[in-house]
Amino acid sequence: MSSYQAYFREKILPRVQKPARYLGNEINAVVKPHEQCSMKVVLAFPDLYEIGMSHLGLKILYHIINAVPRWTAERVFMPGDDLEKILRKENFPLCSLETVTPLRQFDIVGFTLQYELSYATILRMLKLAGILLLASERDDKEPLVVAGGPGAFNPEPLAPFFDFVLLGDAEEAFPEVLRLLEEIKDLPRRRRLELLAGIRGVYVPAFYREERDEAGIYLGTKPVSPHYSSRVKRAVVANLDKAPYPTAFIVPYCDIVHDRMVLELFRGCTRGCRFCQAGMIYRPVRERKKETLLALAREMVRATGYEEMALSSLSTGDYSAITELVNELGVELTKEGVSLSLPSLRLDSFSGELAREVQRLRKSGLTFAPEAGTQRLRDVINKNITEEDLLAAVKEAFAAGWTSVKLYFMLGLPTETDEDLHGIAALADRVLQAYKEAGGQGRPRVTVSVSVFVPKPHTPFQWHGQLPKSEILHRQRLLRQALRLPGVHFQWHGAEMSLLEAALSRGGRELAPVLMRAAELGCKLDSWDDYFRFDLWQQAFAEEGLDLAACAEKSLATSDPLPWDHLDAGVSKKYLLREYRRALRGETTPDCREGCLGCGMALLLAEEDDKGVCTRADLD
Amino acid sequence: MRIWIKFAKQDLMRYLSHLDLMRTWQRAVRRAALPLVYSRGFNPHPKLSFASALPVGVASAAEYADIYFAGELSAADMEKLQGALPAGLALLCWRSVPEGIPPLMSLVRAAAWSVPLPAGVRKTEARVEELLHAPFLPVRRKGKKGEKTVDIRPSVLQLAVDRPGRRLTMLLAAGADGGARPREVLELLALPGNGLQRDEILLAAGPYLQAPMAVLLKEKEVSLNAEKDYYQLRQ
Ligand code: SF4
Repeated sequence: MSSYQAYFREKILPRVQKPARYLGNEINAVVKPHEQCSMKVVLAFPDLYEIGMSHLGLKILYHIINAVPRWTAERVFMPGDDLEKILRKENFPLCSLETVTPLRQFDIVGFTLQYELSYATILRMLKLAGILLLASERDDKEPLVVAGGPGAFNPEPLAPFFDFVLLGDAEEAFPEVLRLLEEIKDLPRRRRLELLAGIRGVYVPAFYREERDEAGIYLGTKPVSPHYSSRVKRAVVANLDKAPYPTAFIVPYCDIVHDRMVLELFRGCTRGCRFCQAGMIYRPVRERKKETLLALAREMVRATGYEEMALSSLSTGDYSAITELVNELGVELTKEGVSLSLPSLRLDSFSGELAREVQRLRKSGLTFAPEAGTQRLRDVINKNITEEDLLAAVKEAFAAGWTSVKLYFMLGLPTETDEDLHGIAALADRVLQAYKEAGGQGRPRVTVSVSVFVPKPHTPFQWHGQLPKSEILHRQRLLRQALRLPGVHFQWHGAEMSLLEAALSRGGRELAPVLMRAAELGCKLDSWDDYFRFDLWQQAFAEEGLDLAACAEKSLATSDPLPWDHLDAGVSKKYLLREYRRALRGETTPDCREGCLGCGMALLLAEEDDKGVCTRADLD
Repeated sequence: MRIWIKFAKQDLMRYLSHLDLMRTWQRAVRRAALPLVYSRGFNPHPKLSFASALPVGVASAAEYADIYFAGELSAADMEKLQGALPAGLALLCWRSVPEGIPPLMSLVRAAAWSVPLPAGVRKTEARVEELLHAPFLPVRRKGKKGEKTVDIRPSVLQLAVDRPGRRLTMLLAAGADGGARPREVLELLALPGNGLQRDEILLAAGPYLQAPMAVLLKEKEVSLNAEKDYYQLRQ
């Protein structure tokens, strides 16, 4: 036992409120002696254990790295407030969970960028770990601080803090990185990064710089030498069915947000919702075979003892064999006393048959995401769902015995008017009626959850600014009024959090000092109401000469270079622009599984043997 | 088949809350592929409970699980179960429970606790004497309806210093009114609670307090008084 371990477990843990978060010896956690490992990685999730442990990507990577006997992957999360205070006061460095080893003793500290509101937390964690924030200041001995996840497609606000960023699927690219690093371990840091930059998906921010003209107008982020590619290509796992997938999920002791096994049916979504970043950066759709999934499920039940399994994908109901899969899984899981939940069910692929099947297993919450209140606006965002579809699906579900449903909407979508907001209320009202028509007893519970639209990079709406705060508040008020219906429960998201999200999501490197300042001022865990301090964020922006609101609201010209233009997610800017124009004209675009639309993905897959449905490399 | 399992909860496992422990056991039983019995109803629960909740951070040499299994269990099954439990939860022994016994939880009357003594054993001895002679031992306790004062003297059944072992041992009643809590007694003695551990859980068997396994062993001599929820000597 290291001295860190003994002290942490004997002297610190008795003083924290939820010690079960920090034990590191959960079932299926992997503990390896470091002296026997050639590569030591700590996977860092910049949020509390309860959130981070609910995340699938972390588990996949943990499993892949630890499957190689000579490598080790451990975990670290943002400590709770009480523990953070103790660490600071006693100058005890942030350590990994499994072996209580200080982060700076690892070869790689890998952060996942899941949401913008976690960015300040990353800096707090680095500080707690005693790792220098700026990559340029780290010496040869310090770990490589790296990042991946959806945020990697615009990591620019964090660019100075990371040695490299991995774009895209990590299953194959990350082991490639580790294999190379093993060989070049003793080279100077800079040289190692130069060699790493040759791996597809690896982006080294230090090898790129923002170019500006004399007037200070941004001209784009360009490589510092012709040696580096002008666009970093995303890593893609072409055959997901053969990709490794964990079955021995770590089983936490304490209650976490999603405490269950997760079966990823497929990756990518090609429905083309225009606000959705995941739908653009994870193309194309890659499915696992039904047989593969059934085998994984069986193994998972045995390895974890979990009582619940979730099927997870961007639009689970779109899985090509969803009915057969649910039926067969249902039979097996019921025998084991395991319930099945389908979290992101898409209503147009939701049949009554499936509804009954799922319900037999568990009366889980039923959720639909029409996203907008009128057909016009749904056409604008390319959410190809009609009101009839929704009502038919809801009615079937009510007839099958459900009594509550949750509807997700977005406020502030491009072209939105008051009429669209009233449309939300009208839809909620019709759902209430549908309950009566389906013969429901009493009153159903209809929850209307309305988030604020945040424009995201690599989407057709990337050029569109966010609404000003006053307008968001006005529209929320309007909704609150309109949704005063018996049985309807209105939930909304804070305008200020959404503003910050928008300001960070489309920002460039000018935001790095703002993040540093915010972390210094005490910002962390910003997606938690208890911690979010909008005033401090405004102060941080102002002190760096920027205006938070202006950053969130800025609309970009389609001819402007964008801070993420040098990062190639596969979908071309041309395609995004075409989609943006169609959006403003209210024209929908079909799912590309019905026919390739030439989004650019086929070009990115040019060297793959298996391009699936991606055929058209041309772009009009 | 219903069994009581005695197990230790030590090392890192002392940091698990009662709910954490419940989850951990349920999943371990499933991993070991042992057939749990589920309650009927809308949201079926496995029939698995523990004798008594332990404060987070406190170790125990004697915890008890009360579990219903579908079918008989073998020693090999127990080995499988041990293999599925995290380190720090060690199975010590188990016995099958005859029919008609109420939940173990409802039978618990007292628990034995001990804590290593820092320097100043003599001073503690004197303080123990004082405490035992006090007619009342009022402590403040936070409840749902604000703070109240409780006299824990009747619940302090034994209090002694084990000189060679340099430990304080306590036998404290448990019950609906909460009995006496070890930390309350330690506070009255001005002792830190480091290393506090539960040594045994005790049920009432006639005029005696007995460990659960002992009660099961003496099945012939004691029987359950269903009205009062305790064991009595057979007439
Ligand atoms: S290349 Fe074609 S098929 Fe592939 S994701 Fe793009 S539009 Fe869809």
